[in-house]
Amino acid sequence: MTTDDQKRPLLEVRHISKHYDNQLTTDAPIIGDLSLVVNDQDFLCILGPSGCGKTTLLRCIASFENYQGEILVDGQVVSKPGSDRIVVFQDFNQLFPWKTVARNVQDPLKRRGIKDKQERERIADTYLEKVGLLDYRDYYPHQLSGGMKQRVAIAKALALHPRIVLMDEPFASLDAMTRKSIQAELLQIKEKEEMTVIFITHNIQEAIMLGNRIMVMGRGGNVLEDMENPLPKPATPACEGFSALWDHFTQLLDQSQ
Amino acid sequence: MMAEKLKKILPQIVFVGIVIIAWQVLYRLQIWPELLFPSVGSIGRSFVDGFTQNNFGGAILYSLELLARGLLLGIALSLVLSSLAMVSKSIYAVYNMLVSVFDLIPGVALFPVAILWFGTGESTIIFIVVHSVIWPMSRNVIDGFSSIPKIYIEAGENIGLSGLNLVRSVYLPAAFPHIISGLKVGWARAWRGLMSAEMVFGATGAGAGIGFYIQYRRSFMDSAGLYASLIAIILIGVVVEYGVFRVIENRTIRKWGMVR
Ligand SMILES: Nc1ncnc2c1ncn2[C@@H]1O[C@H](COP(=O)(O)OP(=O)(O)OP(=O)(O)O)[C@@H](O)[C@H]1O
Ligand SMILES: [Mg+2]
Repeated sequence: MTTDDQKRPLLEVRHISKHYDNQLTTDAPIIGDLSLVVNDQDFLCILGPSGCGKTTLLRCIASFENYQGEILVDGQVVSKPGSDRIVVFQDFNQLFPWKTVARNVQDPLKRRGIKDKQERERIADTYLEKVGLLDYRDYYPHQLSGGMKQRVAIAKALALHPRIVLMDEPFASLDAMTRKSIQAELLQIKEKEEMTVIFITHNIQEAIMLGNRIMVMGRGGNVLEDMENPLPKPATPACEGFSALWDHFTQLLDQSQ
Repeated sequence: MMAEKLKKILPQIVFVGIVIIAWQVLYRLQIWPELLFPSVGSIGRSFVDGFTQNNFGGAILYSLELLARGLLLGIALSLVLSSLAMVSKSIYAVYNMLVSVFDLIPGVALFPVAILWFGTGESTIIFIVVHSVIWPMSRNVIDGFSSIPKIYIEAGENIGLSGLNLVRSVYLPAAFPHIISGLKVGWARAWRGLMSAEMVFGATGAGAGIGFYIQYRRSFMDSAGLYASLIAIILIGVVVEYGVFRVIENRTIRKWGMVR
């Protein structure tokens, strides 16, 4: 693939503003006037203080909220949720409790047009293995820990090979080791499947390591920073320039409080 | 395992034992005439005789069959109509109102109208059973649908489900705890509705069910037989509760961790 390919805009957020219905009308909108272009195969990490509207932005992109402005995927305005924009929610309880872990991952594949049951099983098992939960395939979600449920949700999302995957602090509840291995898996899958990822995190280091683009959001949905990650992959804290970048984001986040 | 279960239901067993002993003591005291208050022994005998001589078993099966037909029809209708109510806001508004209104009409009050329409046969009984089950069942299903956590619906929409597909794959299983309580209320109402319908009609037109059997015992002044029939009605209820509903619960919502 050429660099030209990668620069093609896939997702365009055009001047959206969001005000919740149950909010006081005198209150400032959650998102004021936000525009954003995400190119094909970008890995965009979004940082920002708690309550600044990151989840809200993600929900607008997934068409779970109404808003003013336009959001386009591949040049087409989107208004309904769809499997081209798969969400990994911030909430632990996003798996269907009436399905086993395996079925939670397998069944959505039917929607992707995979008619063969064995094929669905094979794909699901592959992804469960990647998140280290193959042994738990026959468990029900209520028998898993919060972090394990989150990993199943990640497996489910990735197995679907969406154009765009929207992840809301997916690794927040994982221990350092598990987090590291799943980060690596995610990067690998993203490259292989040519996916585009929007990834919300509170962890600056994670943002620098994963993202080829990093955005910092402030109150009112202001974009305080939106930059290409200058560090080559795989970016580790040992890389030159890492700590300067880290300082830069820390400062931005400090100011935004 | 078995011992644990026994321990759990021990208080209930003891209670039933006490009731039986108290009954027999009261009988011995001869406060009421034998006709009003037969002995435990004669009730038991009448219970057994009912099955061996008076075809009580046949009556029970007949009633259960009618009940099953009405229940299935009522459940299917309420699931379909409640699902449609989830797809369209206007259907929801109308159906929600209908459910509230019709739930207020006792089955007995519908008898005259039902007889006008369907005569005094099985159709009327099934009509009454459907009426008894459809409204409470729909109420539970609709309330269950509206209390589903938003995230399950969004997760469903996210993978591309919509309309009736979404209802079938997400709404129905997610509302299963409510659906089961709807089934319980519906079954109890239907069972009572069936009994009253059968009592009212006796053997006219319709075949001979439990209600008819009770009337028949009454005409013989067989009070032991009347009590025996009541016990049979209770026993059937217990079997349905523990043999059917408990089993369904254990295999679904309890296994899924959706109830304790
Ligand atoms: N359903 C809702 N109704 C009304 N207000 C809401 C709703 N959801 C979020 N908000 C408000 O929108 C603002 C942004 O919330 P959002 O969840 O987008 O923040 P966030 O950046 O994801 O925070 P965090 O990092 O803590 O997850 C908050 O002030 C919150 O009170
Ligand atoms: Mg959030």
